[in-house]
Amino acid sequence: MTWRDKTIFVTGATGFIGGRVCERLIQAGCKNVCAFVHTPHRAARIGRLPIQMRFGSLLNRAAVREALGKANLVVHCGLGVGRGIVEGTENLLQAAAAAGVERFVHMSTAAVYGLTPKPGTETEDAPLPHTGEPYCDNKGRAERVVLRFGRRGLPVVILRPSIVYGPYSAWSTRLIPDLKARRVSLINGGNGACNTTYVDNLIDAVFLGFENDKALGEAFFITDGERVTWGDFIQAHVKILGEDVSLPNLTPEEIQDYYRRQPGMVMGSFRAAGQALRSRELRQLLLRIPATKRVLDGIWHWSASLDESSRERIRARVGIRPAGLAMVENHRPMPDSDTLMTQSTTVFFSIEKAKKLLGYRPRVDFTEGMARVEQWLRFANYL
Amino acid sequence: MNDPIRIAVLGCGTITRSEHLPAILRNAEVRLVALVDATEERAAKLIRASNLQCRACSDYRTIWGEVDAVINALPNHLHAPVTLEAIGAGVHVLCEKPLAIHSADARSCASAAEAKNLVLAVGMNRRFQDNHRLLRAVLDERRLGTLKGYDWQMGGPFDWNSASAFYFSREQAGGGVLLDYGVHLLDSIVSWFGPAVDLQYEDDDWGSGIEANVRLSLQHSGPSGAVSGQIRLSRTYLLSNRLLVKGTEADAELPLETPDAVVLHHAMQGQAVTETLAFSRSGRPSTSFDRQLENFIRSIQGREKPRVDAEQAAYVLELIERCYANRQRLLEPWSEVDALPGVAS
Repeated sequence: MTWRDKTIFVTGATGFIGGRVCERLIQAGCKNVCAFVHTPHRAARIGRLPIQMRFGSLLNRAAVREALGKANLVVHCGLGVGRGIVEGTENLLQAAAAAGVERFVHMSTAAVYGLTPKPGTETEDAPLPHTGEPYCDNKGRAERVVLRFGRRGLPVVILRPSIVYGPYSAWSTRLIPDLKARRVSLINGGNGACNTTYVDNLIDAVFLGFENDKALGEAFFITDGERVTWGDFIQAHVKILGEDVSLPNLTPEEIQDYYRRQPGMVMGSFRAAGQALRSRELRQLLLRIPATKRVLDGIWHWSASLDESSRERIRARVGIRPAGLAMVENHRPMPDSDTLMTQSTTVFFSIEKAKKLLGYRPRVDFTEGMARVEQWLRFANYL
Repeated sequence: MNDPIRIAVLGCGTITRSEHLPAILRNAEVRLVALVDATEERAAKLIRASNLQCRACSDYRTIWGEVDAVINALPNHLHAPVTLEAIGAGVHVLCEKPLAIHSADARSCASAAEAKNLVLAVGMNRRFQDNHRLLRAVLDERRLGTLKGYDWQMGGPFDWNSASAFYFSREQAGGGVLLDYGVHLLDSIVSWFGPAVDLQYEDDDWGSGIEANVRLSLQHSGPSGAVSGQIRLSRTYLLSNRLLVKGTEADAELPLETPDAVVLHHAMQGQAVTETLAFSRSGRPSTSFDRQLENFIRSIQGREKPRVDAEQAAYVLELIERCYANRQRLLEPWSEVDALPGVAS
């Protein structure tokens, strides 16, 4: 009996990576795939697959236990918001331990070293720092919980991909419209390390994690093992777009200086709150709190009573811009702080440990990966 | 004035909350008697939230005798059986689309309604959008010249917040995007261009029976002669969301976001011009669901016929069955990879 004959439970199955995990499991001939789905209306992609869907939240311990059932293998791509990343992972680990699962593959991230990993973090033995970034620190905490269960006997494997790209990836689906709208600049000439990870290479690593005992209790960087820079990644998308796009160059100092000159705390807070409220996850969390639900409902009803021009004036006043629209100064699109940090690292992660212990070999190189991205972007109407 | 028609809504999901219930509350010729949902609390909650004077219940059988008509907005697999029960109880039915998962069941509903002399209308609200009648008029007046074909795209990331998630169950939904969006498009396209004499169909179903993307080529024979066209549907990708009908004299465009207008593209004195056609209306603005409900009421009163009846719905379901029977796999070359690591690609 191989792992393909077993029951495989996938969390985060409506996401980019989890969705592709499900597709690849079906392509591999798996007959018993169970997807744990938090938001049913996002399930159109995996709805095509002959898999079971079970609905619930990772934050609901009983629902997780019931959904997991007697699964043999777990691929945890589910995320969550804030501390929910840690809590959801712990709930799943408890259910997995109780069910006696044979493998728990945890989808972590190289961002456990921060959005701008510092030199010295090229290999997995670097200690996890406190980064001050909630996402990064919570993913780091989640890893520690996974390892704790690993020490108690749960067979766990941790994968730390970096910039995962491929069909359906938001890196491409955001970059193409941004390039069309001339909203992209290069940071430091695009020299930052991109650490591209083609999604199917990552899923190869998941499958290797199912069967390789040497991987137990270990964390692995997973990339394509190529020295692709952010400039290469962005230019590859420019080439796909087939338009003459000039990419202004900005130094990190110029970007930081721009943000230092932005409005003070009161107006800046309004703007930031406006941006944050546009996140579906945050809105859903806030709506669970009766007091904030009442306030948000009040704002909603009030804004619904306004005409469109009044709403537009308010949006402009508090700085709520259409999604993805970068601020522009002197015809140079100004990246946001996350983009600045993400594209500023000089660290290329080593995949030697994954090669040695997992038997990982990236099969799809950057050229081939981008060719597939282009095929998909054309079909998906982005080009 | 007739007594108000006593009506109940079966199913308190998104379409009831957002469309059917508001349409009922705006219409003086109906009186809401009950909201029915398998989860009674969902019905009760909707009654409280909308401050309604009607009862909530979980068993639709308990309302027979209290109502003249029902709107059946249950999940797809319950449309035909519950409609048949309602007809058996002597109740007129406005049934959400699709009337049934299988065309044979739709025909059974049609026969039952006819035998009992009851109204069975099918909820194809798009037939009540002005652009439907406007395009009919444009075609009848031959404003486009000789037709060259049509291209209809409809799609975007699926965002229908279904209360029961039945959309992803083959047993409950009966199919994917073709049965969901496609039933509207095929109903309209057949009413404009006539029955489909030939078709080629591709979808991206990997074995669940719930396709998310569809490409369909149709050839029609109807009042405008032989017409060919392409339909593309998606639940995952944002498409252009418009119908373009091309002719030798002009093209007609029906954008999804302006359902009560048709845009004509043609030339005047050598210059490309666009002309927006819309009906002049006076009085209270109404939605397609308002007009659909009015048509249902007038049909019950014997003043009109249902705009879409069960026979028409059954024909569209037969067309969908032909698509599924002639299915080709939609190629996804970006997806093809040797399934297992270690196998040379």
